[in-house]
Amino acid sequence: MARRGTPISISDYWQLRAPERRLLLWALLIALLGYLMLLGAGPKDGLDVQFAALVPFLIYLGTFVSAHLLLVLARFRGDQLLLPLTALLSAIGLIAQARTGLFAAAALDPAKLIPLPLGVALMLIFAIAGRGGRYRLATRVTWLWAGVSLLLLALVLATGQRYRGAVYGFGFITPTELLKLTMVLFTAAFIDQHLKRLSRWRSLLPPLRTLWPLLLVWGLVLAMLLVQRDLGLVLILGVMLLAVLAAGTRHSGYLAYGLVLGGAAGVALVSFFAHGQRRVEVWLNPFSDPTGAGWQVLQGLSGMYAGGLWGEGFSEARPRYTPIAESDLIYAVWAEELGFAGSLLLVLLFALLLIRLLSLAARARTPFGLMAATGVAAVLSVQTLLNIGGVTKALPLTGITLPLISHGGSSLLTVFASLGLVLAISDGEPVKRRSTQATGVARR
Amino acid sequence: MELLNALFRSPPWEAVRLGLHLAFGLALLFWLWQALQLRSVVPLKHLARPRAWLLPTVGLIGLCLVAILGYQATWQLGGTARPQFIAFMQSHDRRQFNPAHWIQRGRILDQRGQVLAESRNRGGAAERVYPFGSVFAHAIGYADPRFGLSGVESMANPALNGSTLDSLGDWGELGRQLLTQSKRPRGQDLVTTLDAGLQQAAVEQIASAKGIGRGAVVLMRPADGAVLVMASVPGFDPNQLHPTLFRGGDPATPLLNRATQGQYPPGSVFKVILAAQALENGFRGRLDNPANGYTTSSRYRPIRDHEYYEAQRSGRAWAGHGVLDLTTALAKSSNVFFAQLGVLGGHRALAKTGERFLFNRSIAFVGGPSGTVHLQAAQLEPIPERDRYGLAQAAIGQGRVTTTPGYMALVAAAIANDGVAMRPRLLRDTAPEVLGRFMSADTARRLRVMLRRAVTDGTGQGIETAGLEIAGKTGTAENPQGASHSWFIGFAPASAPRLAFVVLVEHGGYGSTVAAPIARDLLLKAAEQGF
Repeated sequence: MARRGTPISISDYWQLRAPERRLLLWALLIALLGYLMLLGAGPKDGLDVQFAALVPFLIYLGTFVSAHLLLVLARFRGDQLLLPLTALLSAIGLIAQARTGLFAAAALDPAKLIPLPLGVALMLIFAIAGRGGRYRLATRVTWLWAGVSLLLLALVLATGQRYRGAVYGFGFITPTELLKLTMVLFTAAFIDQHLKRLSRWRSLLPPLRTLWPLLLVWGLVLAMLLVQRDLGLVLILGVMLLAVLAAGTRHSGYLAYGLVLGGAAGVALVSFFAHGQRRVEVWLNPFSDPTGAGWQVLQGLSGMYAGGLWGEGFSEARPRYTPIAESDLIYAVWAEELGFAGSLLLVLLFALLLIRLLSLAARARTPFGLMAATGVAAVLSVQTLLNIGGVTKALPLTGITLPLISHGGSSLLTVFASLGLVLAISDGEPVKRRSTQATGVARR
Repeated sequence: MELLNALFRSPPWEAVRLGLHLAFGLALLFWLWQALQLRSVVPLKHLARPRAWLLPTVGLIGLCLVAILGYQATWQLGGTARPQFIAFMQSHDRRQFNPAHWIQRGRILDQRGQVLAESRNRGGAAERVYPFGSVFAHAIGYADPRFGLSGVESMANPALNGSTLDSLGDWGELGRQLLTQSKRPRGQDLVTTLDAGLQQAAVEQIASAKGIGRGAVVLMRPADGAVLVMASVPGFDPNQLHPTLFRGGDPATPLLNRATQGQYPPGSVFKVILAAQALENGFRGRLDNPANGYTTSSRYRPIRDHEYYEAQRSGRAWAGHGVLDLTTALAKSSNVFFAQLGVLGGHRALAKTGERFLFNRSIAFVGGPSGTVHLQAAQLEPIPERDRYGLAQAAIGQGRVTTTPGYMALVAAAIANDGVAMRPRLLRDTAPEVLGRFMSADTARRLRVMLRRAVTDGTGQGIETAGLEIAGKTGTAENPQGASHSWFIGFAPASAPRLAFVVLVEHGGYGSTVAAPIARDLLLKAAEQGF
């Protein structure tokens, strides 16, 4: 390294981001291994591997290599683990999706290839544009985020079509996925603006006079989501709100009120809505209607049971017998192919991602950064737990995608954009302010 | 590309693949380890110190993930412990490699060790074979990927699949077999209380009996409820199940288990229950039985004895039974007597008897590990107070009352067992259970004597066989569908009953000439075999 202290030149950053590069290269190698084994099963069935079958992998490879280079070029100081971790999880997603026949060489659909590079590009845009503390510009348009959220929901309600119990937009795009980002931004920005007053409680009463706009927007959003029966998203966003409130204001009263209200709402939902009741019944006893309501989860579990401890191996399982394999139940496909051991590894990766997001949130320099990162971490945590729990029957099946693994453009884009936001936050504050502090980034 | 294809087609590729899988897993682990190292490499010094809530939150998420993984393991690795799950996969999972398909179901044996059902290996999948074909179609049932489970196959499904294992060692062994795939895992064999020889004889007898060759036979041990014969004719071949069978429409209703679910008017065999009621209520008197019959109102046709009709047909005169006591009336099966007896007892007494005798209930057999088979009791909806004629009719087993053959066997067994009905059993290794007390021991003792008289001096005279000491009651039940149903219930030997039975032949005519001889033949065969 040229100098101790603040890195200046591109080559300094090239060296600074060497750990990221090393992890990324390893991740790409692992991805290559997996993809090779995936392809290797083709000739067994008498089919030659076409060049087209390699295209998804090459796109993947190019995307992440250029992502790293761009971060170096942009003199990005932020976290170095998120990118390789994202690359590894995306590789698993790529392999699992290829197994469900998404990238059949005969009909390579650009629409199915584009979400990954687009998502990574979005992540980079967020990370680079928001680095050096500029992410705080988001607080200037607090009500834009609320407006976008409400508009999206209203649009979906007005034009969407019902499918599998939920409401979808045109062409089965789920615009409500975007709420996972806009609501985080709105909540964090709003609390950031009223932080002092919000953390001042009058004995047991929260400062409702300051809180009401937030509650109003949230009430509208949750109500519209309930009309659409998107219980999974309601849960994800609800936990996120509580996490952000509690982490931002450092007042545990929000958590207590939230848990009580949330619990009551949950009980009410289950006892008054036939839809919720049925879900819970099927969850508790899928064998009461094995070929109907219990079919999805039981087929997923059957696949996992067939996979056993070590799994059948890449391309050896029969994920086509698993319903909605490419999105909601993709975890079952992975567990079927690579067994319990494989799913253990996947869960470890997710644990690492969530822990990393949380620690980045816990170390953010600004309250807004703290809250935004906490929001993203909460959304991804609940989403991961709900999906894996649903597939393994530990929780009711809620129709939630598995972040980075499931196919689904809007879900993937939102996750990448959220990760970009956290990356930006992890970049810290402007250099000027930092110069007074120890900024050693040298490797030991 | 060609290089790649050549590699994939080369013989060592399969071995390489295995190595690559290992490498993939190890590389992932190595990556994780490296990522953890990175924490010390890039300590994020330009960021603030972590907030205090970080650790508990991380712990909470970690705990949730561990809990979910643990629960996942109970399905993915311990799925064998969930009988319903295994059954679901056997019926609905199309993955050939699913270990659930390799489990070779245990055999089902009769009490002498004859195979009633076994699994054979055909083309990698286990195929269920029933050597006796339709003979045990209802008792044993079937286990079929498309049509599911029934009968003993259903009630003992977990044991047959090998998932009710006694010791930890059994579990380990099954798990090892599944993991290593070295040996075909095998379920446990199951011994039933049934007897193949007697069952086959019963089915043949019914099929060749007078009438239309349909009916049911149940033979059970009164002392412990063990069912030796549960035959329902016609049956179906469980080796060749076909969707048309389940679509219904066949007038012979082969799917119906007549022994446990077929409701028939009981006719005179129902008088046994009336006699029990009268004895319980202290009736010791005599009743006059005029030839002209008995009715509750001049508007209704009098209930008469069958001798009246016989005499009328042959142009003779018949003076009637005259004054009878209960024993003689039961032996002669006098309709006039029992119609009067029923009305004399009243509505409330019959309702009480019905409660004691578990009318209108569904009686569960002694259960297997996953559910059980049921036996419908007699059906008799409450008779309105005003309807005395209905009461008279019910008292002779006509009108509103119907019953399944199996239930009448249960009543006979209760009389044979000092008034206590034992819950019917099909699995040998289940403990006997008391179903309930139908009558006092004294009543049962008196009834045993009366029913013996019915065979020695009454309607059952034709089947009196030296050495068998049969006690029983015939029945000839009128029904709107055609000729009368032929019934015979009873037990033997009367002084110390070892077997209780019911024989029903649909539209067979007189109980004494059709059903009773079948029962005698079965008892003879049973005696030969030492029962």
